[in-house]
Amino acid sequence: MSQHSVLSKARQEGRRQLTEVEAKDWLWEAGFPVVETQLARSRAGAVALSRETGFPVALKIASPQVIHKSDAGGVKLGLNSQSAVARAYRDIMTSVADKHPDASLDGVSVQRMAPPGVEVIMGMSKDPQFGPVLMFGLGGIWVELLKDVAFRIVPLLPRDAAEMIREIKGFPLLEGYRGSPPVHLPTLEGLLMKLSSFVEANSEIGELDLNPVFAYPDGATVADARIILEG
Amino acid sequence: MNGLERAFNPRTVVVVGDKKGQGFFWLKSLKSFQGQVYSVQIDPNEIPQIEELGYTNYSSLMDVPGDVDYVIVSVPQVAAMSVVRDCIRKKVGGVTLFTSAFAETGTKQGRDAQEELGRVAQEGGLTLIGPNCMGIFHPKIGLRFSVEQYFGEGGRVGFISQSGTHVGQMAVVGALHGVRLSKGVSFGNAVVLDSPAYLEYLVKDEETDIIGMYLEGVKDGASLFRLLREAVYRKPVVVWKGGETEDGRRAVMSHTASLTRSPLIWEAALRQAGAIPVRNLEEMVDTVKGLLYLKPPFGDRMGIVALSGGQSVVVSDAFARAGLKVPPLSTSSYKELEAFFSVVGASYRNPFDVSWQLPLDNLRRILDILERDPNIDNIAIEVSGPFLARRWESRPGFISELMEILVEFREKWDKPLLVMLTPVQQEAIAMEGRAEFNRMGLPSYASFDRAAQSLKRVIDYHRFLGEA
Repeated sequence: MSQHSVLSKARQEGRRQLTEVEAKDWLWEAGFPVVETQLARSRAGAVALSRETGFPVALKIASPQVIHKSDAGGVKLGLNSQSAVARAYRDIMTSVADKHPDASLDGVSVQRMAPPGVEVIMGMSKDPQFGPVLMFGLGGIWVELLKDVAFRIVPLLPRDAAEMIREIKGFPLLEGYRGSPPVHLPTLEGLLMKLSSFVEANSEIGELDLNPVFAYPDGATVADARIILEG
Repeated sequence: MNGLERAFNPRTVVVVGDKKGQGFFWLKSLKSFQGQVYSVQIDPNEIPQIEELGYTNYSSLMDVPGDVDYVIVSVPQVAAMSVVRDCIRKKVGGVTLFTSAFAETGTKQGRDAQEELGRVAQEGGLTLIGPNCMGIFHPKIGLRFSVEQYFGEGGRVGFISQSGTHVGQMAVVGALHGVRLSKGVSFGNAVVLDSPAYLEYLVKDEETDIIGMYLEGVKDGASLFRLLREAVYRKPVVVWKGGETEDGRRAVMSHTASLTRSPLIWEAALRQAGAIPVRNLEEMVDTVKGLLYLKPPFGDRMGIVALSGGQSVVVSDAFARAGLKVPPLSTSSYKELEAFFSVVGASYRNPFDVSWQLPLDNLRRILDILERDPNIDNIAIEVSGPFLARRWESRPGFISELMEILVEFREKWDKPLLVMLTPVQQEAIAMEGRAEFNRMGLPSYASFDRAAQSLKRVIDYHRFLGEA
């Protein structure tokens, strides 16, 4: 789906939050290294897509009303076979229908599991005085518990991208810690620069999260994304 | 000529509504003004005293003869709108609205009045400073808003402040530190002109080399950010952001009614733009003083000279805490020092403990060695207060000799040199000493930490520019 039709569809349906597939399609079009993610509307569809994608895969509930997918039992990771996918599809549908009886369930998103890397988070929110602000941090407890994040005002200069990555306390983890190889920092810097131009060019985006982004020694992959439009 | 240019450099100033109740402080402060000052007041009880002060009074701004460049409005809020309309009709250069009781009251009436004021001023193309502020301070031409402020000789520092108190403080406290203002402005609720407009003006101002700002909020942060990003390559900009805590933010609401959000965002924005964030008046003064008087630093390695062992330890702590380094000297420096440094119990490692018996000639040699040492970028010297006081009495020439050596160093060499003179039992003497050092262009500090942080901020600024 093109960016334009994604936006008009969301507006038509009175949604500010784009679905996972919509957000990822848009980012893919803009050139972000997003994990290819497709919507399966049935159990058979999920099985067929996962065969096409290659195992292992992840399934996530696709529903405009379900924001916290894991809490609703709407996420299954590391599925290694067609039968595991079929079972996961049924479990997700049952669990989400049980927890959110009023939600409309479009099906599930299917994506190949990204290989493990160092988890980082990139985000954008809007400040009432400064406008779009980018955030960078390490995934998991680093952001949630330790609030170890760096902020920069859009538009970023290359030095800002380089500095915000190096400014967080957990930076040594990216340089290779206890024998793990260092991640490719220029890729992360490039992603932040790309994100800065992306949000600058698309002022209708109110909030955006790339979470997690897996950072590797030779690149990075955006494993999940969330886009909320301006109200 | 644009409105701000006329308002900052007026030939004719009119004060509307000054009165006994506030001690005629506007008119009294303007006694020093080099141009023409008129008063506008309609209250017959006030007029005789205004005339006694030597001012011609008119009953309306419209009656004032000739062009008016700058108007100070000090009337109650209900009367402010009609004066503002007169200002538009009279085509004045700029207006400071001292009048308060607008949005900062937090009431609907206040907000509505502010909105109306903004609309009328904008439609009339009026350069409006405020409301709820003290306006312009331009000491060189004697344009002041308090009789305590100096006039005549100005300085090279421009100060932009949402609060009148902080411009006033920056002027009088700064002066004690050898920091004098070229121009200052207090702009309060910023209904028409906000900090970016004043920043833009001072960046271009030829009397201003360094800019300080006290801000509580900004309406168009993106434009402030963009301007700062360019400004810092022409002049350093030091920013003190008020309302950085929950409680502080609440106070901001009732002070200038500025929107303000996460302190993290402000700090990030300032650093990203290359501005220098500070947290209080002391840090503002210290940083500006460093920028004004220190030679441009090329690195962060300190040579430290203290008059006792104990001080040499804690001075080193202060600089290390600020993120600076105190490395060993080069081998050749040690060889040179060995040849003449012979005070028992003292040390010429870095930090130096040169002891109180130090012959001043040796101090000169130590400074020369530090200047040449490739391991050292900056030099800080501790001048002991008790020692100074003692010597002051027994050998009054000592302090001037010491100062001569330091001034000579400053003139001859390139490395930044800081003087630290901590308060002691003889604080009056210490203060006098610090002021004297500052007057000679040797930045002096009342604590080791303040000296260290001042230098660190100056280094960070030059690093941002890629020079250190």
